Amino acid sequence: MINPVQIINQLFEMQCKLQEAGMAQNFERNFNRLYNLFEEDGFIIQDPTGDTYSETRTDCEVSISGRLGSKMKITRTIKPIIYKREIGNLQLLQKGIAIAENK
Amino acid sequence: MLKPVNFGIDLGTTNSLIARFEGRKVQVFKNPVGQKETLASVVAYRPERILVGDKAREYLTKDPVNVFGNFKRKMGTDEKYYVVNIDDNVTPIQLSSLVLKELKNFVHTGEIPRAAVITIPASFDTMQSNATLKAGQEAGFSDIFLLQEPIAASLAFFNETDIPSKDGYWLVYDFGGGTFDAALVLASEQEIKVVDHEGNNFLGGADFDFAIIEKIVVPEIIRQTGIAEFEQELRTKYGKYEKLYHELMYYAEEAKKELSHAPSSVIEFSADIDNKRYDFSIPVTKEKADEIFLPIINETIHLVKNVMERNKLTARDINQVILVGGSTFVPQVREQLATQTGIPLNFSCDPTTSVAIGAAYYASGKYYEAAPEVNLHMPSDTQEEAPPTAPADAVNLKIELSCNATSRDKEEVLLLFCEGEYDNKYYRIIRSDGGFDTGFVALKAKKTEFLALVPSVNNLFNLHVYDHNYEELPAFARQFTIAQGKYTIDGQPLPHDISIEVDDVENESTRLEVVFERNSLLPQKRTVYREISKTIKKGSGDAIVINIMEGDKNARPSSNLTIGYITISGKDLSSDLVKGSDIEIQLHITDSRVLNTSVFLVMTQQEFKNVFSISEKQIHIDRLKEQYTQLEKELVRTVREFQHNNEEIWEIKASALLAELHSVKDNLMRLKNKDQSDTKYVLAEKIRRISQEADKLGGNERIAGLLEDYYELKEKVAQTINAADFEKEEMRKKLQKLSMGEDSLLHSRNVSYIENRLQQLRELQFNALFNTTSFLISQYVQWREWPKEMYKDYTAAKRLFKMADDSLEKEKFADFRMQVFNLTHLMASSDNPVKKEFKGTGIG
Repeated sequence: MINPVQIINQLFEMQCKLQEAGMAQNFERNFNRLYNLFEEDGFIIQDPTGDTYSETRTDCEVSISGRLGSKMKITRTIKPIIYKREIGNLQLLQKGIAIAENK
Repeated sequence: MLKPVNFGIDLGTTNSLIARFEGRKVQVFKNPVGQKETLASVVAYRPERILVGDKAREYLTKDPVNVFGNFKRKMGTDEKYYVVNIDDNVTPIQLSSLVLKELKNFVHTGEIPRAAVITIPASFDTMQSNATLKAGQEAGFSDIFLLQEPIAASLAFFNETDIPSKDGYWLVYDFGGGTFDAALVLASEQEIKVVDHEGNNFLGGADFDFAIIEKIVVPEIIRQTGIAEFEQELRTKYGKYEKLYHELMYYAEEAKKELSHAPSSVIEFSADIDNKRYDFSIPVTKEKADEIFLPIINETIHLVKNVMERNKLTARDINQVILVGGSTFVPQVREQLATQTGIPLNFSCDPTTSVAIGAAYYASGKYYEAAPEVNLHMPSDTQEEAPPTAPADAVNLKIELSCNATSRDKEEVLLLFCEGEYDNKYYRIIRSDGGFDTGFVALKAKKTEFLALVPSVNNLFNLHVYDHNYEELPAFARQFTIAQGKYTIDGQPLPHDISIEVDDVENESTRLEVVFERNSLLPQKRTVYREISKTIKKGSGDAIVINIMEGDKNARPSSNLTIGYITISGKDLSSDLVKGSDIEIQLHITDSRVLNTSVFLVMTQQEFKNVFSISEKQIHIDRLKEQYTQLEKELVRTVREFQHNNEEIWEIKASALLAELHSVKDNLMRLKNKDQSDTKYVLAEKIRRISQEADKLGGNERIAGLLEDYYELKEKVAQTINAADFEKEEMRKKLQKLSMGEDSLLHSRNVSYIENRLQQLRELQFNALFNTTSFLISQYVQWREWPKEMYKDYTAAKRLFKMADDSLEKEKFADFRMQVFNLTHLMASSDNPVKKEFKGTGIG
């Protein structure tokens, strides 16, 4: 049985690489479609890049780059946050792996 | 009353765990925050709150005056840590007790551990041992038993593996994330004791990761960039490559893990180095990793050999090496250890949890005097072992919470108001999925907390209150929910569901697929992915119709109001559009309820955009005609159903509705698509009203009967799936998915919706039967005997008979299934001429 979390991680990594290469737009529809398939199956996938980094946020494992400050933001996401919606229940399947900086 | 201790705790330098012995087995508990078995042994005193565990570790290197790890090494010393944020000193004992208390929160069974076995390193002296005892007492354990880690690990292995004789020497090789320990253990029938040990507190798995960066990644970066001093810059704290350093540490760890089961790995990343963009793809082979890991591994083996030599032991004198700690997963560690020591290895027990498991086994044989049970706060069975707790009225404290029950934001503000004795008390709020945790926060008269929300779900939060010693006061615990993405007074909600009409070709009808649910806040945007259900030739007059409807998503399409439609005919196409190709329909409804649609045909790569105003009615005549036919067919069936059940009154009402429907037929059939008059609106409104009335026919009894049929059929489908031989899991998932919508089924009180769900169940049952070999055989035996007129191509059918017979004889049931399936396509009845007349929407 293929682990869907691993597939989502690979998808996310591919999307990041394409973004870095400036080619993500060409595949935007395809990625939206793929993520939609997972969402229909109850997965909630979040890219926390750009979110405020907070000490109460336990959905991400964060490495802090630079000095601590009052305007900490997540600037890079290596793995997305993945939740699974079960009957009447929400489960955190994978914590995001991210880097935060003071911006 | 004497009770077994049962709880075992691995209070580690880097990570800690808690386990419980129960009925011959040991359960290792998971952290409710993040679901990991391990808890980072780190405590952070942040400006407003105390964090324990993984989140605290994130701040370890950045805020060293307020965040503390590795304090186990200072146990038994008089060292104190000055915490800037609280302007006070804390001791290693206090820090350890916080870790122990946090581990108690892992126990989800409702039981509160009152006694535990806590493990200590073999090197701990009396002072250090006593300090651990004190930490346990401060954490609220009345009885504590200490156990040396190597003995705990040995116990786990002895209990979890079948070893005929345990007598003699064993070597416990404990290589964790940040520390290494080697211990020589002597076991006999009477006792297990640590004879000797060696260790290095600054040697662990992180050294492997750094070796990959230092010896493989950095040289490659230097080679490509030509920057000789790159390594110094990468290592510089707060330097310009610090972000890259964190990324590389993660990639190196991933590569290390991959190399434990693959011959090579690749580290890929992009980086701006000296204002130039580089894309790196650095191969890491197992051979190269072995080479760079060797010096680290040799250091551990050197310590092992020291222990052996000091005790004048050879490999033959030692039964096995017991592997403990996550770094023993590295294959090179195992290979070198086995080769260089010549002692057989035992890695039959999970090396990351074995110490806690061994401690729990030991705890099962230890007893303590349990205090009389006083259970004042909750009468539940699960609270059986709860300690004497003051009821809410015994503590003069009142807490009120104020927050919106719904929100459309990423976070929601919570206000806590406290009255009474709130000084030196703490609260903590944890989201039930573990993605949010406030840590311990001091209660105040008024406190604000920002709660992070997961989108489009009900976010369940648990509030806990603690005394000055971080012991929970269960009487004050409570739950509250914030629904994200639902209606609030801040936004305009949708008054009705908005759906698109899609084909149900098998039943020659259409149904609704909801796009935006009622009460969703505007604006809304969503893409629906479907397939084209009929081939449309380029240049032909045939068309697909995207019919956007407003009303009850559970009703039949004719009960809804069409608020917009798009027709894409063969004349609009740049090439043929083949059945089965994909269509993407994006709907965007603005704050002012303007509906924007964008339809993308993947096969022809064409996009069609439209903007509708919901204030203008939109009617597609052809669709309306088909909706009429569908409703007519349903009403005829309903009249017959009432006749059959002798329900005269309902029969009369249904017949009257049918007659009313027939009264619009002539006018409707005369209408052309380009009709300018208001007739189409009048007719559409009438059909809609009749359709809505049709759903009420039969009253509650009909709905109850249909629901009964639904649950009966669901039971049967589950049994059929259980008996199936193929695709069981997929079908179970489908059934589970269908069951997930039962709430809406019960609340809909809508006949056509329930009938639709019944139909879906029947289809699933049919699917399950087609995946059951015995059913297929029985069907095949009948079909084989059919006269040749029953087949479109009897020669081809005969070929399939031969193949199927052959498969049956050789018991190749998967092949047989495929052949029977193919046979159904050759049946004359598989061509249904009536279906060709059904135009539908063209969207499957």
